[in-house]
Amino acid sequence: MALDRQVRTARWRGLRRTGDWTLDLFLVALALLILTPFYWMLVNSLLPRAEAFSLPPVWIPSSITLDNYVEVFDTLPFVRLVLNSLKLTVIITAGALITSTLAAYAFARLQFPGRDLLFIILLSALMVPQQVTVIPTFILIRNLGLLDTHEAVYLPALINVFGTFLLRQFFLSIPRDLEDAARIDGAGHLRILWNVIVPLSAPALSALAIFIALAAWNEFFWANIFLTSPDKMTLPVGLVMLSGRFGTGSPVVTLAALSMLVVPLLILFAIAQRKITESVAMSGLKG
Amino acid sequence: MTVRSDIETTAPAGEARHGRASTLRRREARAGYLFLTPTAILFLVFIAGPLVGGIVLSLYSWDMFSSPEYIGIRNFERLMDDPQAIAAIRNTFVFTFWSVVLHLVPGLLLALAVNRAMARPLDYFLRTSYFFPMLVSWAAVALIWSYILDPNFGFITYYLKRLGFEDAPVFLIDPDWAMPAVIAVDFWKTIGFTFIILLAGLQGIPTQLYEAASVDGAGTLRRFWNITIPMLSPTLFFATVITFIGAFQIFEPMYIMTRGGPGDRTLTIVMHVYETGFRRFEMGYASALALVVFVVIMIVTLLQVRLSRYWVFHE
Repeated sequence: MALDRQVRTARWRGLRRTGDWTLDLFLVALALLILTPFYWMLVNSLLPRAEAFSLPPVWIPSSITLDNYVEVFDTLPFVRLVLNSLKLTVIITAGALITSTLAAYAFARLQFPGRDLLFIILLSALMVPQQVTVIPTFILIRNLGLLDTHEAVYLPALINVFGTFLLRQFFLSIPRDLEDAARIDGAGHLRILWNVIVPLSAPALSALAIFIALAAWNEFFWANIFLTSPDKMTLPVGLVMLSGRFGTGSPVVTLAALSMLVVPLLILFAIAQRKITESVAMSGLKG
Repeated sequence: MTVRSDIETTAPAGEARHGRASTLRRREARAGYLFLTPTAILFLVFIAGPLVGGIVLSLYSWDMFSSPEYIGIRNFERLMDDPQAIAAIRNTFVFTFWSVVLHLVPGLLLALAVNRAMARPLDYFLRTSYFFPMLVSWAAVALIWSYILDPNFGFITYYLKRLGFEDAPVFLIDPDWAMPAVIAVDFWKTIGFTFIILLAGLQGIPTQLYEAASVDGAGTLRRFWNITIPMLSPTLFFATVITFIGAFQIFEPMYIMTRGGPGDRTLTIVMHVYETGFRRFEMGYASALALVVFVVIMIVTLLQVRLSRYWVFHE
């Protein structure tokens, strides 16, 4: 990464002209404009009820209060929503990583009849979005008596075709010699996978984990269809259905709840930006 | 996407080792099937099964309570006459078109602008700011923006009026402005993704190419057309396809901000599937609508595989 950056700097240094400073200024202004909605959200969530949402909007508050934040816990099952979202995110991330790793190892390292055909069939599932399978799955889940349960949300998410593909490509790039020692010692395939392949794949696995966890944490479409009681809902569904556009309560309280979601995420991202953007961009590089 | 096949050449098995080798091979095959079992079961139950089920269901009329009735292709005939379905299909294509154009053109300009020599903290700040909305859930983004565009306290309409646009629209309520507003919010939320992957693509272009071109006297514009664009074509192509597929399934911003209104102006196919299936419980018709999404995405994906051979420059 560092080398990459030096090369890039060297490449463009000769091209820098005075006009570049205005471009930098423009880029910074654009960045601030992009962040403005979040800033507006935060400021209004901290204002006393009477001052929030006033026009012209308040950009620099003269007095702030945490009343709206206190009210979040009174009017919404906020803690429950957070716990539900955390639970589902952990189960989906861990589960999908395990199934993807096992399948990727089989496709990358093991010989068995029909392997390449099975891989193509699995890849074709990338063309089938959830929005297409949701109706038959809804009927299936209803017949299993699993409507309004967390199983309905996490079970279908335990398969990750894209993740399987990505890990397979990564495993193929690991030299086979590294496994030979383990193989000579008579280690089984599970041992080789766990002791050799997984440690060597830490960058790919952690990137995929971030990718899956973010998607699970933010997921709305599926959870909104399958979870109907407030104590089962995830954060995105709960905020929209209970407080936001469809629920009751003051918009200021919704903004306070949103701030509690967005601000920690922004701090986390400001620290770990490179790892997170790499894990999302990875899909673009490998495609 | 290339599927690499790495079939091992089996070592010539000597007479004595033959038995042991075949035992090992059998064990390896057993491990292979075992490792694939969780994925295979999930694939059958949650992808292949529902896909086939959806195709079958599209030939039936079923409200989930009475018994299903076979009606052949009547659901598809109905689709052609359903003004809501036609509006939804048109809206989805309009949204997708603008989504692709806006993500690629400004996305590339932004990536080019940031891909210059600049102070590291500045580079870090720009990447962080441009990408951040991508990480926030659609639920949160749509809620924030529905307040920002609110008829009573939305500040964008307010500032437009202050700037002299007296008849500034109330975006989410105005029939002509609801869709542009949703397109703009989607652009704001997801431009970071295109930006980041195009930036990564730009940084993967070998410096020597630019140096050689400069020595040959090629100007900035020539270098852009003859080096940057061809070298970036795999990434550009991927970004186009990913943006298309994502936009074609758009649901959340409309569902949360406009409910498909005003007057179906922002109704999309997936929203129509949702309303038909989970509000009106017309499971057969909803399945037929969902198949439209599937067929379009399948065509685009297969086109991607075909066309990338012609369009995309590979070394």
